[in-house]
Amino acid sequence: MRTDGINCDNETFYAFRKAGAEPKLVHVNQLRSGQENLADYQLLVLSGGFSYGDDVHSGKILAVELTSFLKESIQEFINKGKPVLGICNGFQVLVRTGLLPDLKLGQINTTLINNNSGRFECRWVDTRVEKSNCIFTKGMAGSIVSMQSAHGEGKFYTDPEQLKRLEDSSQVVFRYADSQGLPTMNYPENPNGSLNSIAGICDRTGLVLGLMPHPERFVEIHQHPNWRRGGFESPHGLPIFINAVKYCQEM
Amino acid sequence: MAIQEVRVMNKLDFPDTIGEALLYDIHHTLGITDISRVRTAKVYRFQGISEDEAANIANRLLAEDIFQQFSINNDNLLQGQLVVEVAYKPGVMNPEAASLMKSASDLGITGIKAADSSREYAFFGPGVSKDSIDQVLKKLLVNETIERVVTVKPETLILEGKLGVTEIIPIRGMSDQELMELSKDTLFLNLEEMNTIKKYFIEIDRDPTDCEVETLAQTWSEHCGHKTFRAKLLVNGEIKTPLLKRLQQSTKEANHPLVLSAFVDNSGVMAFYDGWAICGKVETHNSPSAIEPYGGAMTGSGGVFRDIMGTGLGARVIASTDMFCFAPPWMDPDQIPPGCLHPKYMLRRVVSGVRDYGNRMGIPTNNGSVHFHPDFRAKPTVIVGAYGLLPEASCKKGSPKTGDLAVVMGGKTGRDGIHGATFSSGEMTHRTIEVNANAVQIGNAIEEKRTADALLEATEAGLIRALTDCGAGGFGSAFGEMGSETGVEIWLDKAPLKYQGLNPWEIWLSESQERMALAIDPEDWIKFNDICTMYNVEAVVAGKFTDDKMLRVTFDGQIVCLLDMEFLHNGLPDKNLTASWVLPQGAEAMPDSPLDWVEAYCQIMADPDVCSKEPIVRMYDHGVQGSSSLPPFTGVMSDGPNDATVITPIYGKNYGVVISHGMNPGLNNINPYHGSIWAATEAVSNAVAVGADPSELCLIDNFIWPFPDEESLGALDMSVDACVDFVKEFGMPFISGKDSLSSTYRGADGTVIKIPPVLCISAFGRIKDVTKTISTDMKKAGSAIVLVGQRNTSEMAGSVYCNILGIKGTNLPEINLEILNKVFQALHKAIVKGKLLSCHDISEGGIASALAEMCIGGNMGVEVNLPDFENPQNFLFNETAGTFIVEIESESMLPELFKGIPYQVIGKTIAERTIGVNLENRELFKVEIDRLKEAWKAPMKEVFGP
Repeated sequence: MRTDGINCDNETFYAFRKAGAEPKLVHVNQLRSGQENLADYQLLVLSGGFSYGDDVHSGKILAVELTSFLKESIQEFINKGKPVLGICNGFQVLVRTGLLPDLKLGQINTTLINNNSGRFECRWVDTRVEKSNCIFTKGMAGSIVSMQSAHGEGKFYTDPEQLKRLEDSSQVVFRYADSQGLPTMNYPENPNGSLNSIAGICDRTGLVLGLMPHPERFVEIHQHPNWRRGGFESPHGLPIFINAVKYCQEM
Repeated sequence: MAIQEVRVMNKLDFPDTIGEALLYDIHHTLGITDISRVRTAKVYRFQGISEDEAANIANRLLAEDIFQQFSINNDNLLQGQLVVEVAYKPGVMNPEAASLMKSASDLGITGIKAADSSREYAFFGPGVSKDSIDQVLKKLLVNETIERVVTVKPETLILEGKLGVTEIIPIRGMSDQELMELSKDTLFLNLEEMNTIKKYFIEIDRDPTDCEVETLAQTWSEHCGHKTFRAKLLVNGEIKTPLLKRLQQSTKEANHPLVLSAFVDNSGVMAFYDGWAICGKVETHNSPSAIEPYGGAMTGSGGVFRDIMGTGLGARVIASTDMFCFAPPWMDPDQIPPGCLHPKYMLRRVVSGVRDYGNRMGIPTNNGSVHFHPDFRAKPTVIVGAYGLLPEASCKKGSPKTGDLAVVMGGKTGRDGIHGATFSSGEMTHRTIEVNANAVQIGNAIEEKRTADALLEATEAGLIRALTDCGAGGFGSAFGEMGSETGVEIWLDKAPLKYQGLNPWEIWLSESQERMALAIDPEDWIKFNDICTMYNVEAVVAGKFTDDKMLRVTFDGQIVCLLDMEFLHNGLPDKNLTASWVLPQGAEAMPDSPLDWVEAYCQIMADPDVCSKEPIVRMYDHGVQGSSSLPPFTGVMSDGPNDATVITPIYGKNYGVVISHGMNPGLNNINPYHGSIWAATEAVSNAVAVGADPSELCLIDNFIWPFPDEESLGALDMSVDACVDFVKEFGMPFISGKDSLSSTYRGADGTVIKIPPVLCISAFGRIKDVTKTISTDMKKAGSAIVLVGQRNTSEMAGSVYCNILGIKGTNLPEINLEILNKVFQALHKAIVKGKLLSCHDISEGGIASALAEMCIGGNMGVEVNLPDFENPQNFLFNETAGTFIVEIESESMLPELFKGIPYQVIGKTIAERTIGVNLENRELFKVEIDRLKEAWKAPMKEVFGP
């Protein structure tokens, strides 16, 4: 889905195409006008960028727009068990619509706020894939996924009870990891100070995933800054998209 | 109509990163340590709705209950000892306002007439006093050009004004003195030019309108007219070809097979692969950045992106670059001339501007540099570049046909940037900030992003006959140029305005950002407009292209400007200029060896020109578009800097675009010819070092020069000659360029400061397979380290080592282009064959900094054996561009790879993280990589925070 200020749409489009999907870029205005229908698609992606300039809060204006105008069609999409992926700004939109963590549109229980460093930063991070029933990371638990993070408002934050619920129900999908592969609160391995090193979460069904780092920026070996140093058999981001496509094919 | 005020702050037990960042600056930049806490609140104002509605908006949009609280119409939310509100000045467009209106309307609240946002700061601690907070406001928070401290609450948020009027300028009766009075501060034309205008209007027997005079002034400005570059020159008594003609001639003679369009479009275009072309443009934005660095840098980026968007029939912007020159950030504030801003403030604000525009547009900023010299204290140099991808089939500039619609798309027009073109051509004076404040605005990257999205779709659909961006000179320049062959009629009352009350000439010449000017076939208008509507972009028909070769501008049916295109574009009298340049005489720089080698090495690494710029690069999203295959930093800890960037703009293909640049303002002060050769050599070396084929590169020039008096013009003449000689040797053409000849400061007390003359050369080109490119980080222990290329190490003048010691001289590096050509060829072949593990070109800091950076990237060390006949400090610190350090697995390959070019094995890589230097089998010194790294990283950490 595109709108004013979304800017990671083309590379996300390519990542899905490479994974075998037939993606289409659809503007939110086309959905609002009825020219396009969410029901005609199997998977919804909210890609990265600065939707409406990230004015007020990152992703907020788009989240309000979605909950105001597309509430029913999104609800129906979710009810049918179709997956939703939000990357970076898309993740921010998902938490601000309430789709994450509990599929409750309009109810904001978690948030993404200013990085501890107080500034936008772009750097590669290692994330550890946690055990969850997230369909996007099927078969990847325990692996280290290297991705680029690029954001100013990516610190995952919620209250202690909500955090506990997320952990108890295994909704944490990615955690920032140190060189040993262990979750870390140290800067810059944890680039924003996210609670419990959380880089991405899903809902309880595992169908809605939101994450701050950009898997779509690592679907070719040579997108990694250190591909010349070797050690990469395959691009780390690609399996996430392949999993999504497989899930949709089997749906 | 009442205004509802909503204040939103983070809950008290929750960190406030904006307050903390300000507190850090209060402590570290101002040295005020007894202010202990800063809290901030966002202030939103809405006009036209009830208090309940405001609360509804606050709940559902503005404040997030998890970490925030809000108040309605209560200005004591923060409860600080001292609270101040900082807002944009009325008339400075706040990009957030439109989002507030949109989102409130999405929530079903439709009665809002106007909205605004600002920020409140509350200060705590024993050091809080009116004086200390005044300092904070003045030095850290408020740029008076665009911002103000709110002392009286606004009565209305709606900007209104009376309808514009057109004035008649009685130019025909003006004396020379009156003409110059009219020109001063606004037109920036000289007496001869003013008299040419006077004569034209005497001939056509009427006086001009303000609109006509302004149109002429802006078309004839140095910025748009490039008068100096087109002038007939007398250099040291010898008649020489005009500068621009020399450059263009050399491009023509080079006759490069990949060049598709040079010097005729908004950017230069060269062939890429599979029917695609790539284009590049580099711009300066010095004058606006000098008075409002954030807005200036933003609009600089926005402008150069639009140059790419407006190339051919529309291009996709794929990369952005930034090159800056400032005075050292730690300069004593007392040394900053009146009317100028402190370099630390400027550097940080300029970086923020480039960051916010590029990141929001989704354009990776992945190549750049920062240079420092005290003489930039009067005016910085801010260079921004952009590169694009477009189909070869639509890469030529379009021409409007008679009857085509003149269309404006994108942002609305306000009083922004009035006189930007003429102002940037004037010198910086202590009055500049007062007089020209409205020459700067805040850019709206999202407006430009959606305009770019809509434009690309319209281009793909073949709906565009011709387009250009509205830059300096606004509609006047865009349509004046577009319609120069046909004639054009523009109806100014059709232009969407930000607020009423603009004079017609202001609408005509406003430099409001994010606007494009197009020629559209009337039959395609509906389709075009539908695309724009879908992307939330406003487009209007604002006139039509005619066949009478006249520029006719109307407002409400009244003619406000009627000029003959011929006079407008060709009436400017040719300038005749005299230049002279005497090479500075003086001793040669012959520095002694340091007493403490390790200390000297660390000083080199910590030199502002050498030090790591990583904190800047990290703030730019250099990975967006997923195209990076050689980012600015690589290596074990991702902190080894690379020489150039390589991107793959076509998904799924390994085709690469390489982008690099070179500049060295210090050397131009010593000798503009050799300094300029150095810059061009450095630009190309950076590209070749990563694997670019020198025969598939094109160049872009940017001359940022002091006001062209005889001496400066003489220097410029030599610089241009250097460029031409470079093209002759390598056949690598300039296909785009820009000059900005106003970098002189004049103070009230007669102080004159000329900034160092800057020639920035940018190189870009194509690479068939990005898997055959290399980085600078050392790959493994036990490899041979080889110095490749020709240099005379005694040429030490202008080096960082000499600068640190305060040694001046005339013996700067003189590069042998013939040998360099062979070096480029050999190096390129070696890289393509996959024989080199890493490679780094030598520039500021010499072999010493090159080796250290390679070691930092590889997280390893190196052992160097100095050749017996070399003077160690010259060997390590000489800065001859066009020489390289390469890492190669086995020495045995060298004779074949580097046959016929100068090379020498100087050491080997080691696992131990040290650099050891031996002379005559004895250890001269040994230094830990960590120590060098710390010194190298410290300066920018200090500027940008931990």
